Amino acid sequence: MSRNPRIEPIADSPNTMTHPNGSDSSRLRADNVRLAYDDRTIIDSLSLSIPDGKVTVIVGPNACGKSTLLRALARLLRPTAGHVILDGEQIHRLPTKEVARRLGLLPQTPIAPEGILVVDLVARGRTPHQKLFQQWSESDERAVHAALDATSSMDLADRPVDELSGGQRQRVWIAMTLAQETDLLLLDEPTTFLDIAHQIDVLDLCEELNREQQRTVVLVLHDLNLACRYADHIVAMRDGVIVAAGPPAEVITVANVRDVFGLDCVVIDDPVSHTPLVVPIGSRHSAPHLVPLPPTPARGTHTADV
Amino acid sequence: MTLVADPPVVERNAASTVDAPRLSIRGRFIRTSFFSVRVDPRAFGVCAVLAGLIAVFGCWAISVGDFPIPIGEVVGTLLGNPTEDSEFIIGTLRLPRVLVGIGVGAAFGMSGAIFQALVRNPLGSPDLIGFNSGAALGAVVMIVYVGGTSTQIALGAIGGGFVAAIVVFLLAWKRGVKAYRLVLVGIGCGFAIDAAIDYLITRARITDVQRAAVWMTGSLNGRSWDQVRLVGLTLLILGPLAILMQRSLDRLELGDDCAAALGLGVSRSKLALVVIGVALAALGVAAAGPIVFVAFVAGPIARRLVHSPGACIVPAAFVGALVVVVADLAARRVIAPTELPVGIMTAIIGAPYLLWLLMRQARTGAL
Repeated sequence: MSRNPRIEPIADSPNTMTHPNGSDSSRLRADNVRLAYDDRTIIDSLSLSIPDGKVTVIVGPNACGKSTLLRALARLLRPTAGHVILDGEQIHRLPTKEVARRLGLLPQTPIAPEGILVVDLVARGRTPHQKLFQQWSESDERAVHAALDATSSMDLADRPVDELSGGQRQRVWIAMTLAQETDLLLLDEPTTFLDIAHQIDVLDLCEELNREQQRTVVLVLHDLNLACRYADHIVAMRDGVIVAAGPPAEVITVANVRDVFGLDCVVIDDPVSHTPLVVPIGSRHSAPHLVPLPPTPARGTHTADV
Repeated sequence: MTLVADPPVVERNAASTVDAPRLSIRGRFIRTSFFSVRVDPRAFGVCAVLAGLIAVFGCWAISVGDFPIPIGEVVGTLLGNPTEDSEFIIGTLRLPRVLVGIGVGAAFGMSGAIFQALVRNPLGSPDLIGFNSGAALGAVVMIVYVGGTSTQIALGAIGGGFVAAIVVFLLAWKRGVKAYRLVLVGIGCGFAIDAAIDYLITRARITDVQRAAVWMTGSLNGRSWDQVRLVGLTLLILGPLAILMQRSLDRLELGDDCAAALGLGVSRSKLALVVIGVALAALGVAAAGPIVFVAFVAGPIARRLVHSPGACIVPAAFVGALVVVVADLAARRVIAPTELPVGIMTAIIGAPYLLWLLMRQARTGAL
């Protein structure tokens, strides 16, 4: 039941989207947006295209405007200048319900009402498809079913959300967003507060949603190494500006990490995924005595085989 | 066998019941091809039981008093077979009083349920955060300066309620409204408004003072069909609107961003809910004075009875009505023949709950 009949594959040509802001055919993009809360400008004149059918990860230090950008992309924040374009139309010209049928967002800290059951929470994801006298149709039921199935949380369906572990809860929130049946999924720090096993769990789920159901996924993540593993496209931000965007291997470099995070590091090859692996240096270990790039195992003497 | 027209639908129905376990979504569904409505049998049951209790206590309240009327006669009169004595006592004195109690309780209950859900804190009920005081001030101004027909009192109460709400929201505003700020600012404003009412009463003529004072304590004594019509109209107009907004309120409880991501117009829904909630509270105050703690206790009791994670606007209305009717009965009977104002009885129920809630929220850090 995990196949989703409504979602048709969008990424017909896999290698057109490699260039960072290359194509304007993206379903979702930002055009010279300025984003501000009250009169505090967070982002000034930023442009960005979200490649269709890919996993895009936005990284950057705290308070660099990642979440603000995500909120603007989902129509929650109106740009004071520029536009966010969804399917060729200015997103603020579209009715909010219409946007919610095309684009799902999971905010950083959603609130579960006290005592709500998992299945009822996931069912709330159907809101944009419902009307006053169309409160629970067959397709609602099917979508909730598929969402619980895709997140392997069917067996949690009858439990109160308060009783779940952090990882389970995150899966349930993602299920709610999936029940919206949108091709575009925006998740704001879905791995915060999770232990490493559950982080991987959630990110595997995101990858699955992308690979198997061809959904376009946008994530805000803090862990650079996980970002490199799961992203097709990385956007690195600092102070409201995109410093670099592209495939992980091009974006996550020693120079960019220093530039974005002010952190000295060594970038080596992730032995499992062969994506960049950032090893911070810190003040105690000032001298990196291994050859950083290219990622050949320079310290072969240290290997553990006997 | 009239459904031959659409075989694929039937087939899909069959399939979905075979390979998928039924989802145990809360409630029952009435579903046709173009129409599907979700009803919660438990909420229905709770409301039915509460309605029964309201009827029982209502009849009891009508039957007792200086001229006791047997229950049988009360029921007979209500069903349209009055005797000579009962017609005047019930029709003119006691029935309007009970009906105003029910109506006002329902209005307060709904208003409380709406605000507690909006603020996401049971302390956010309109009688605690100054809205009822504002409505009372508006009404007292009308009584003291204008003369105070029931229409004027109603308008004054609505005006006062909205002004208080606007002032509280503006003072609590700091990049959005946080629950605890709203509660604290609201309680502060409530005190200031109460002081203003005291000032007005001290300055007013003695006849006005008496009228205002009776009304201020939240008393159902001497309510007439005027007030019944006022609350009746209020419930008839605002009740359905409140029920329509229930769905939005449920979504708002997930957080503003989440609600917006689900396609809800957040500011618009909130504004509509605040307007409905303030109007309900204000008109309740106009009819019966600022009866405290009804709005405050009705919502949480309703939630517990229905076992619902969301605000239960309709069950809260029934709980509010029952609380007021029972409290009024008790107020009339505990030291009979002297009558206490109903507000004192509701305070006896509400104040301990408030203390318990404050202690619990202080412990869990919610406030």
